[in-house]
Amino acid sequence: MYMKSNGNNLIYLYCLNELTPKLKEVEHLVEKLYFIYHRGLYAVVSLVSKDEFCEENLKTNLNNMEWLEKKVYIHEGIIQGIMKNTWVIPFKFATLFNTVDNLKACLEQNAAKFKENLKYLKGKEEWGVKIYCETERLKESLIREDKKFLLIDKEINSSTPGKVFFLTKMKDELLKNKLDNKIIEYVQNSFERLREQSLEASLNKLSPQKTNGQKSTVISNSVFLVDKNQINSFINIVNILKEEYENDGVSLDCTGPWPPYNFCT
Amino acid sequence: MKTYNELLHEKRNVTLLEILDRVLEKGVVISGDIVISVADVDLCYLGLKVFLSSVATMERLRGAPILGPMQEPT
Repeated sequence: MYMKSNGNNLIYLYCLNELTPKLKEVEHLVEKLYFIYHRGLYAVVSLVSKDEFCEENLKTNLNNMEWLEKKVYIHEGIIQGIMKNTWVIPFKFATLFNTVDNLKACLEQNAAKFKENLKYLKGKEEWGVKIYCETERLKESLIREDKKFLLIDKEINSSTPGKVFFLTKMKDELLKNKLDNKIIEYVQNSFERLREQSLEASLNKLSPQKTNGQKSTVISNSVFLVDKNQINSFINIVNILKEEYENDGVSLDCTGPWPPYNFCT
Repeated sequence: MKTYNELLHEKRNVTLLEILDRVLEKGVVISGDIVISVADVDLCYLGLKVFLSSVATMERLRGAPILGPMQEPT
């Protein structure tokens, strides 16, 4: 497919494939979708305007939530659509080239690495699992299960104000330690059990969160590379964990399949 | 208990935040002619992420669809 890039355009790279990508399903998302073939690799691309994507304007636009939302949905939509028919290596948002030759040079330079990665990713999917904790509910659950708190409360009820202050502080510290340890336990336990059903697993760092008025906080954000033949076993463990953790106010949110953003070199 | 197919075909609202986490911070990084860096995604976005994650949490746990990234949490 002949793509004419002029001075007003940049080439936007979405993903790479080993087999001919089927563009029909997603080509409506942009003005025109192409693939460029080079050294056994198919690069899915479109032309974008320098007005929007030149370095300076891009920096500005990245802080325009409306613009960013529109563009990331296009980016993700195209890759997800291609992924339906053939496995992909997804690129970061706004990976841009001035010319086709530059893109080809990049493919040339990294061909071996890309081919190896594509071979590895064939027949696999990325799934994400986030774990949320309703802190107050978990605290209640911890208080219920440890008699120590009952004893402290009894003492508080029959103490002088000075001692009450001291005992309350001690109780709070004890509860905080228990909470922290329990959360670590949940995170590690769930991660290990899910990892067993996957080929690769990664615990991602957590985004900063609002703490005021929040009933729930994210305590874990992990991603898994799962063989397509193992998906049912993986989902099965997610459901088991959901049931096990429910009473403590801990819930799991599982999303997928994703393009393997977390598992490409 | 959801099966793989139910999860796959469920009309889900994959949150903007989940997509942003992937397309802005993961994916292949190469020396293209223009490639965004962490520095480009400045505080404004990070602040927005905090807001988005709180909306996503509330809506997801209620099982309700997210109407848009700027919806005020109740």
